[in-house]
Formats: sequence, structure tokens, C-alpha cells
Amino acid sequence: MTTEVYRESFERRTKTVRYLRFLEGLADTQVGPIFLGMWGTVALFSYLLSAFITAVGFGEQVGWNPIRFVRELPVLTLYPPPPSYGLQLAPLQEGGYWQIATFFLTVSLIAWTFRAWTRAVANGLRPTVAIAFTAALFLYAAIYIIHPISVNSWNEAPGHGLAALLLWTNHFSVKYGNFYYNPFHMVSIFGLLGSAVILAMHGATILATLAYNAHKEIDEIEKSDEGTHRAQLFWRWVMGFNATAHSIHVWALAFASLTAIAGAIGVIASGWLEPNWYLWGCRAGITPGIQAACP
Amino acid sequence: MTVHEGAPPGAVAKYDERQREILRGELVGLVAFTILALGGVIALSMAFAGTREMMGYRAEHTYNYAGVQTVNFQQYMERIGRPIAQPSAEALQAYSEWVAKNPRTVNVQVLNKYLGEKYNDTNNVFAYMSAYFTPGVGQSCEYCHNLQNFADYSKPQKTVAKAMLIMQFELQTKWIENIPRPEGQPLYQIKCYTCHYGQAKFWNQELKASNPELFGVAGGGNPTPYDMKNNGITLNGKVPSSYEVVDDRYLATRPDAEGNYNFYQVTANKDTPAGLVDTYRNQYAMYHQNTALGVGCDFCHYGGYFKSYVTADGVFKWPKAQARHMQAMMLDIALNWFPQMPNVNDVTQAQNYYAQPNCYMCHRGYVVPPGAAEFPETPVKVADPEIKPLVELPLPKPILPTSAGR
Repeated sequence: MTTEVYRESFERRTKTVRYLRFLEGLADTQVGPIFLGMWGTVALFSYLLSAFITAVGFGEQVGWNPIRFVRELPVLTLYPPPPSYGLQLAPLQEGGYWQIATFFLTVSLIAWTFRAWTRAVANGLRPTVAIAFTAALFLYAAIYIIHPISVNSWNEAPGHGLAALLLWTNHFSVKYGNFYYNPFHMVSIFGLLGSAVILAMHGATILATLAYNAHKEIDEIEKSDEGTHRAQLFWRWVMGFNATAHSIHVWALAFASLTAIAGAIGVIASGWLEPNWYLWGCRAGITPGIQAACP
Repeated sequence: MTVHEGAPPGAVAKYDERQREILRGELVGLVAFTILALGGVIALSMAFAGTREMMGYRAEHTYNYAGVQTVNFQQYMERIGRPIAQPSAEALQAYSEWVAKNPRTVNVQVLNKYLGEKYNDTNNVFAYMSAYFTPGVGQSCEYCHNLQNFADYSKPQKTVAKAMLIMQFELQTKWIENIPRPEGQPLYQIKCYTCHYGQAKFWNQELKASNPELFGVAGGGNPTPYDMKNNGITLNGKVPSSYEVVDDRYLATRPDAEGNYNFYQVTANKDTPAGLVDTYRNQYAMYHQNTALGVGCDFCHYGGYFKSYVTADGVFKWPKAQARHMQAMMLDIALNWFPQMPNVNDVTQAQNYYAQPNCYMCHRGYVVPPGAAEFPETPVKVADPEIKPLVELPLPKPILPTSAGR
């Protein structure tokens, strides 16, 4: 049924298609048709509003001087309110801009998730992209919303800006006693490294089998002596076993999601559950030179 | 059987050629990407390192900290291209006449008090003045002295210089002499050029506004105006009128009720108030110290746990103990000494005239300030200094290695 709908509207939809030759080699040269819809409109509008408010905050900080704006853009930051405001609304210049920008950024991300969900269903697909995106959204929420609420202060959220996220990462680690000793962070890094190796293995394998039509997916999977079979033989030769064309994508999705989910739990647990991960490491007996530096 | 079966004549060969083209393109792309990425990182790193070296921020030392000066005052002045001042011919002539009439000093009030009887001899005072005052402030004798009467206080500059000299000896006896240090580490002395580096007026607001990089603002990683503004940082409880230049008072530490000097509450515990403001402020102050001393964080800290005074291997981090002591001295300068220094231009504006002290003021990118002097005589602690502190700051409780393992 959904497939038929897709076919019926194909002719109409492709009227808006453009081809951009410079994308050749990087992506499909076909651009469009793009579907906006309600969730897309909400996501786009909210994101633009968030970016606009951030830009206004930056502009105010540089006295509306465009040269200073460009020059200082890497360090310009829209900071959350100071701790004295707790979770209250703050005046614009004291974090109010950040609160409004963060609100619309959150709305935008949630709307984008719904957009990914509804477009997948309309296309006859399972909504796995939307589900995967919620893992990233969970990490975002942990950092910008859940953790600040758990410690009763928006001030613990990162500012908006290029340098701000790097600084926040460092400062958050310092405040909670060295994040590398946070076991959830360890799992998150495990997921990150696992994702990298799985993605590299998968990407390289598909490229290796291009000449045997691996990019033609289903057709060639069913035929022996073609790309997929050769790839699977390759990995059996190299490491004794192989993922299937299905399971490799499950692995990739699982590892990538694990990165975000474990990271989010690590952020949420900081403070009320464990204020000092280094001391946790001391108690757990995993710090080097434990007798010397542990108090 | 293959999927090519039934293809038009020549299509398979064309297809294979296309595949080879794709593979060649991928190979070239991969190599180009790797070269560009690695080359870019290397080039940027080299450019950055070169810039820092040009700016004089190159670390002078290894982390095997010995506390030994590597660039002295003369070498530093040569590096920055600033001549070392000498007494003028006119001043030397006037002095030779003065010393002939007054071989014993007239009205010398500070040097003899802190350094002893030796400085009741006019020639010894002249030697001290020529070695430290003249090169230090970059001025000949007549800048402060009435050449017809060297004992005269008619020039306001002499009053300022006297107050500064008292500050110098008080800081030396209270702070420098008591700095925690490993056995055998040399101890240097504060002289005029330790801060002045050949400029009479070197640290005022005007200079600070026009040369923010000297004050650790630009490039030094100090708080930008925006950080201060948006983190609710206040000066004396009020919102500052301008955030254009950072107030270096935030580099100074504060003693708590028990006399412990805590920089800021940075690492959380169960009772830590929420918010990252203190962490931000602390980190910016730390970045300033990176620049001011030309060192990385692990010069003072154990990277695994910044609060610790010992590394994982049990090595005691003397620089951390010393930095803590120096920050207390900086607070003393800010609270007790700069506000009491008379001003040659407008005495009533004295408190607004100076910029706050910071690490760069003396260190100039080196662990041991180039202006730190090797001076053989140790000043004595006097009971009744002419200028007394406004606020009595306790010496920090020294952090020392507590066991043989540390």
C-alpha cells in the first residue's frame, strides 16, 4: 500500500528535482524533492529562531560590530544564567538569551525526530533512524536539561558557541574530579571506538567489493561469487567469522547508540550520585599509583 | 553465472573500466585526504608553536623543576630590545661632588633599615641605586633626585620610589623568604626591575587598555569580557562598568577563616553549590598562569587529579605549593600595597591609577622571572615598617611533602 503511494506520486515529486554535478563522487547528484511538512516547519523555524537569538546575543557582546563578530566568533559564547538564578528565568543579558535559545533548540531537535519518524513511516520504512536519533537527543537532554535540573542550576549546562562546548567539556570534567574515571564515560568511549572500527570495516568492505556489485545490495547478495559473498569470505579468512549484511548494520547502530546513551547516563550521574569520579576510581581501585594521589 | 549475462556487446568491458576508474579515484582521494589532514595538523601545530616562540611564550624548562633562572634581566632586556639605563653624565658629576661632601649618607631611611649598616655609606647606596633603581625604572638619578641635594624629597617621584622600596623589602621578607621550596633550590630577590623591566610607569590602566596582551587578556586565555559578564562576575559586589579589560583581582586567592588560601572551589563534593562559574573563573586564571609562566598544566598539577599535590608516582609537585603561596602574595600586593602607593600625578586618584598585579607582571613567560635578582644580602624583617598593611594577611599554611614517599 505505502509502496503504491510512493509510486503514484513519483512523477509529481520528481518535477522539483535538481542535479548538482559538483556533488558527483561525494553524494548522489540528485537534490530534492524535499518534504517540509508540519514537523519540518516546526524544526526549521525553531532552529532558525534559536540561531537568531544566539546571533543577537553575540551581536550585543561585540557592540554590533561585524568585524569584531567575525574575528571573535570562535570564542563568542552565549552563557547560561549564573547559579544564583537556579532554574528560574533570567534577564536576557544574564542568561535569558541562552534559556530562550536552548528552548527553541530543544523544540527543533524534538520536531526533527518526529519528522524522521513520520517520513520513514510514510515511505514504508521502519522508523529506526528516528529511534537512533533519540540516542543523540538523550545525550543532548542529559547535558542541557536533565543534569542542570538535577543540580537545580541552568549554569551547569554548556554555553552556545564554538569554544563554549570545548570549555564546558573540560570544566565539567574538572568539576566532577576527572571524567575519564567515570565508568559510564568509559563505556561511552568504548562505544565511540567500536563505532569507528565498525564503520571503517564496513565502509572499507563495501568499497572493496564494488567491482563485484556489492553496491547493488539485494540483487547480488543472493548470488554467489559476487561482492557480499566475497566480503564475507574475506572476513572469515581474516578473523574467522563474519557479520551478515544485516547484522553489520545492527552492530553499527548499537555501538553508535551506546556512545550517546552511556555518555548521557554518565552526565546524569555526576553530582548527586558521584561528585568526584577520581575518588570513585580510588574507591574502585582503578587509579594508577593509588597510594600516592588518592587522598 | 554473473549479473553481466545478456549485457550488450562491449558493456562489460566498459563497466570494468569504469570500476577501475572508481577505484583509482578512491585511492587518490584517500591518499590526498590523509596527506591534507595530517599535513594540515602538522602545519598548524608548527605555525602555532612558531608564533608562541616569537611571542616569547616558549617554555624555558623541562618539567624537572629546579627553580633556576634561565633568562636573566640583561638577557630579557636584550630580547625585547629595550636598552638598560645608566646614570647620566650630569648626574655622575653631581654625585661625585655630593659624595665628596657626604661620605656618610644623609637622610637614607630604608636601605639601612632593611639591609644594615653598610648602607650608611654613600658609595654603597650609590652602587645599589645604579645597579637596581636606574636599570629598573629606566631613568637616571635626576628622575627622583634633586641633583644639588640628593637627600632632598622635593620631587614626588622620590616619595613614590621610597614607598616602592619598602614594599619590595616587605614582600621579600614576608613572602619570598617563606616560600615552600625543595632543599637546594635557589631563592631570588625582588628588585625594581623584577616588575618594572626598565619602565618607570609600566602597569597603569592606560597601558593595560592599550596592551591587553601584556596583561594576559588577549592570547593569554584570561576571561573575555563576555565570560565575566555572562557569568555574573562582580567587582566588590557591583557589576563592573566595563568588561573591556579583565580585572586581574580575580587571579588572587582568598584566605578562609582558618587561614587556608583556596583558589576557588573547583572540584565538587557533596555540599558544593551548583554551577560552573567558579570552575570557569578558576580555569581562566589557570590559563593566564600557563601563559605567564610559559608552562603547561602538568608543571604544577598531576593531570589525573588536579587537586592532588602528588603525582601517581608520588612525586611532590613543589610548583603547585609555590603557586599557591605566590597567589597569596599577589593578593597582598593588590589589597595592601598598590592602594597605598603614592602617585606622582594625582594622589587622590591613586587607587584607580594602577592595574591589578598578575603573574605576567613579573614572570613574563618564564618560570623564574627574568627580573628576579641574585642578591647576596638578605633583608631583615623590621618591626615597624613605615607603611603597614591595611589588612593583615596570614601566611598560607605551607603544603609540604608529608612522607618520605612524597
